[in-house]
Amino acid sequence: MKAFDNYNPITVFIYFASVITIGMFCLNPVTMNPLILFLSLAGAVTTYLIRNRTEGAQSHLFFFVMFILLTVINPLFNHNGVTVLLIINNNPVTLEALLYGAASAAAIIGVIYWFRSFSQIMTSDKLLYILGNISPKFALILSMTLRYVPMFEKQTQKVIQAQRGLGLYSDTDFMSRVRGGTRVFSVMVTWALENGVITSDSMTARGYGITKRTFFSIFKFRRQDIILSAASVILFLIILAGVISGSVNFKFYPEISYAGTTVISVITYIAYGLLAFLPAFTESGEELRWKYLKSRI
Amino acid sequence: MITIKNASLRKVLRIAIPFALVPAVIVAGVYLFKENSYMLISVAVIILSLLLFISGFEKKKTGTRRLIIVAIMTALSVVGRFIPVFKPVTAMTVITAVYIGGEAGFLVGAMSALISNFWFGQGPWTPFQMFAWGMIGLVGGLLSKYLKKSRVALVIYGVVAGLAYSLIMDFWALIWNNEIISMEAYLASLVTAIPYTIVYSASNLMFFALLAKPFGEKLERVKLKYGV
Repeated sequence: MKAFDNYNPITVFIYFASVITIGMFCLNPVTMNPLILFLSLAGAVTTYLIRNRTEGAQSHLFFFVMFILLTVINPLFNHNGVTVLLIINNNPVTLEALLYGAASAAAIIGVIYWFRSFSQIMTSDKLLYILGNISPKFALILSMTLRYVPMFEKQTQKVIQAQRGLGLYSDTDFMSRVRGGTRVFSVMVTWALENGVITSDSMTARGYGITKRTFFSIFKFRRQDIILSAASVILFLIILAGVISGSVNFKFYPEISYAGTTVISVITYIAYGLLAFLPAFTESGEELRWKYLKSRI
Repeated sequence: MITIKNASLRKVLRIAIPFALVPAVIVAGVYLFKENSYMLISVAVIILSLLLFISGFEKKKTGTRRLIIVAIMTALSVVGRFIPVFKPVTAMTVITAVYIGGEAGFLVGAMSALISNFWFGQGPWTPFQMFAWGMIGLVGGLLSKYLKKSRVALVIYGVVAGLAYSLIMDFWALIWNNEIISMEAYLASLVTAIPYTIVYSASNLMFFALLAKPFGEKLERVKLKYGV
């Protein structure tokens, strides 16, 4: 069950915009709060894992290595900080720089994981639904291009087979492959352009451009969408207020210092924790409901 | 889509938005969040400028055929992005810009970035890639008179465009890695990116030399045959 897919695209967009904005916004020297950044990373990874389980497990290894690299590289180039751990080539490696590297790595990998889930949920039809409201023409080009890409691939295969049948295309050595490839590409371009002009004539004949373009979409704005969008916006505003008030400020250099634990800072952390784990809650809630309904059959 | 009926009001808005909204975002970003959150501000500014361009495009009366050619060139450059190492996206963008117009070039560049990232991965870099390739197309359209005449000029523009793309994306990488913006840091990131810059420029050189003439001929032919 993938509950997040059933929400309206606008809701999904609002949610990801708020969670990613906060995650990226905290990537600066003053408000770089490690707790918020690690909450972002944990939320993003959990969301991705709940949606994909063990699929594509190797990719996690890649991001783990990237995390380690980003963490280690910072202290090698950045020598700020007062706590010296060791000295390499007369350059101090400091604890502050190492921790700073870890925090910024968490932020970067976190945002990348958010985007991985985002592009899984926001499929092209949903993107078209959102764009169609802003610019129908742009959305039309987008949808046509998305349709052309697989069509061109298929047609290219056909042209290659035809050329092979004529004995014009051989992939025995590099030069003849390049020559054959160039010819196939040239054929494809001419075909695509002519085909496109025919398409546009057909569109004009059916009255494209006479009145405003309308879109078919199957998405409805339900009660669950109102709840989720309201929750994302409210949590976003609470966190934003908390961050701007300076009560979650965190400085790595020259030595680690942060605004003390206050009511505001605790509220901000809780709000961000809720926001980051919102997809995890909805997904597991849906799963529980599914199991419950199944057990009653 | 909300459309504003009053023509004079529309005119005011068209001037007011780029000159007021974009600086407002920057100022608000700097003051509200005290010390700079470059990443967020720059993403906001880039998205705003893309939206402005798109809404301007929406108002114009564009022929259906022009629209289709943009879609086709975009699809071809997206398919071309699957070629390892050498990417023909810049070449396709500039060729479209030169033969069809700067606006079409902008769209091909920006759309190629957006659509190919469905396969290569979307991220905070998408708006920047859209902007970089879009601008290469737009400028190519402005220079089309010279670029159409001499192939040498076209190839030189290709190499310069490869450099420009690299400059913009390095700037992005700098703020993404959250370094304080300074000339030295920027220069350092430019130096580390030299191999990539060379590949960009070299592949542009190759594609412009190979593709420009046959592509131009094909586009000219379609223009002549069907009257785009």
